[in-house]
Amino acid sequence: MRILLVEDDESLSAQIEQSLLDAGYAVDVTGDGEDGHFMGDTEPYDAVILDLGLPVMDGRSILKKWRADGREMPVLVLTARDSWTDKVEGLDAGADDYLTKPFIVEELLARLRALIRRAAGQASPEMECGPVLLDTRNGKVTVSGRSIKLTAQEFKLLSYLMHHPGKVVSRTELTEHIYDQDFDRDSNTIEVFVNRIRKKLDTSIIHTVRGLGYRLEWSEENS
Amino acid sequence: MINRLKYFFGTLTGRLLKSALLWSVAALAVGGLLLSLVFKSYVLNDVDNRLNMLIDSMVGVSELSPDGVLRFSRPLSDQRFMTPESGQYWQISEEGQEPFRSRSLWDFELTPDVSHRSFSLKYYEGQGPADQILRIAERDSILPESDRIFHFQVATNMAEVHAAIAEFNWLLLSALALIMLTVTMSLVLQVSYGLRPLRKLGKSLSAIRAGRANRIEGDWPQDLQPLAGEINALMEQNEQLVDRARTHVGNLAHALKTPLSVIQNDVEGADDERSTRIKTQSRLIREHVDHHLKRARIAGGGSGAGLPIKDRLEKIIKAVSVSTREKNVAYSLDCADDCRFDGEKEDFDEVLGNLIDNAGKWANSRVQVTVKTLSDTPRRPMIELSVTDDGPGVPAEDIDTLFERGKRLDERVPGTGLGLAIVRDIVEMYGGQARLAHAPSGGLMAVLILPAK
Repeated sequence: MRILLVEDDESLSAQIEQSLLDAGYAVDVTGDGEDGHFMGDTEPYDAVILDLGLPVMDGRSILKKWRADGREMPVLVLTARDSWTDKVEGLDAGADDYLTKPFIVEELLARLRALIRRAAGQASPEMECGPVLLDTRNGKVTVSGRSIKLTAQEFKLLSYLMHHPGKVVSRTELTEHIYDQDFDRDSNTIEVFVNRIRKKLDTSIIHTVRGLGYRLEWSEENS
Repeated sequence: MINRLKYFFGTLTGRLLKSALLWSVAALAVGGLLLSLVFKSYVLNDVDNRLNMLIDSMVGVSELSPDGVLRFSRPLSDQRFMTPESGQYWQISEEGQEPFRSRSLWDFELTPDVSHRSFSLKYYEGQGPADQILRIAERDSILPESDRIFHFQVATNMAEVHAAIAEFNWLLLSALALIMLTVTMSLVLQVSYGLRPLRKLGKSLSAIRAGRANRIEGDWPQDLQPLAGEINALMEQNEQLVDRARTHVGNLAHALKTPLSVIQNDVEGADDERSTRIKTQSRLIREHVDHHLKRARIAGGGSGAGLPIKDRLEKIIKAVSVSTREKNVAYSLDCADDCRFDGEKEDFDEVLGNLIDNAGKWANSRVQVTVKTLSDTPRRPMIELSVTDDGPGVPAEDIDTLFERGKRLDERVPGTGLGLAIVRDIVEMYGGQARLAHAPSGGLMAVLILPAK
């Protein structure tokens, strides 16, 4: 899952970034409104954390532009302005959720998980595919109740696939969503990760669609 | 009483009345005094003239009989000379002789001063019969065809004259009092008419204070126009000051929040003594900031065109429903399209946002928002908004205290407990009402009455 964080306060930004990384997200950070708008406009993010009080271009304008341009990724708005008018107008501009400062990062992470989940059409925080269970709240993966240890990159990859079950996901798409923009991307590593995950899960839910990518699906016959 | 009089004469009306009344009382008093004096001298003059004429006619009809006795050639016409103690008297005396007296004198004798002769007329006041005070005219005269000097006296009772003067004075006094009364009344009317624009100005000011108007409008008399203009300018300056102060408070509060986030996140998860203390203190800072920020934001004034409620409520509900997405609460709105709130958008958002959010937090599955226009309100149109949830409601004994600052019945549901207190503050600022009641469905119902446009 790749997140864009647009926040101009460096201390807060660093705190949030660290927590996001710890929670297994790929994160791009900027403190500038214009950069933020450009990045959100061009990169495929799974969610955006957007501060409303930004230099150069304020958060609400960014949000309105994205929505006007058809960018539909979930946006969580951060603001120090906690009046109901700010809230109403922030959500009216197209935000999906709203968090007022000061806040605890755990609260932010919980809201973010819920946003990504809902955007992927998943109702429950626990995602299931056959015997494989991924709990987005604590990042635990189990197969038939047995706990599986995954590396950060492996978890990111599996989590992305679990959020989009039944859909063909290309290697490029996976790369875009599990690495931040500064990462030296090599789509061959994806194959390595997928193979490792398959081995660890010991069940075939990740199918290779030749020439296109991967699809997550569980069918009884496969087991 | 004395203090109240002092207060009244200290007012503008009182001062105008006081100065005007002082002048008219003085003028009327001087005029009355003059009139009374003129009348008195005229009446006395008249009496003296009559006495003079009487003496002349007495001398005219007096003759000496062949035996040297004084007699009247024909009787004096006034019958009062014949009636005892009637008040009209005459007497003719000659030195060394019994005086010749009118019958009206009866057994009384005027005391003639015959010591020194005076052929010119002399008036004085003296004692008469039956304790009457008399005005006496006298002169000496030598009758023709004789060399005897007779002392003629005519007298009239002054009681009648004094009574006439007293009556005149009384009439004069009543007339003056009546004039005074009319003048006072017309003064009061005049002053109140003249000061009416000032009172209107006062009313305009209180309308501004009550939030029913923004500026003093309308045509004013030329001498009040600068005052109205100055007040408007002052209002504008005041608004700018308040706006600036509000912006500064807002900026300060908002600027504090980001570092506060950082501090809170730094100590989050740690539970040593120091971290706990920092947590508690930063939570306190947050609460203070919230409290003052929210109060600084209350505008409490009327807005020009009014705020269309329906559209705003839809947006508020959309915003509120974000936090109850996991619960599946259904929000329904019943509001006429043309309902308008006479006030600031920010205040409306704060009140309804808090109430609907609160209802959403507690509701099992439904929140109903209803807006009605109240038709029979005195003075200004009002709207009634009710927010009803189907949650557990609150015990009857708590329902009145929920609007207090920081009151929270259940600590498990997030919120600082400031919401309802700010709702009450804002509603009161607009001269509205806020109350809580039990909903028929068992939940809580918040009812607001707010000014409509």
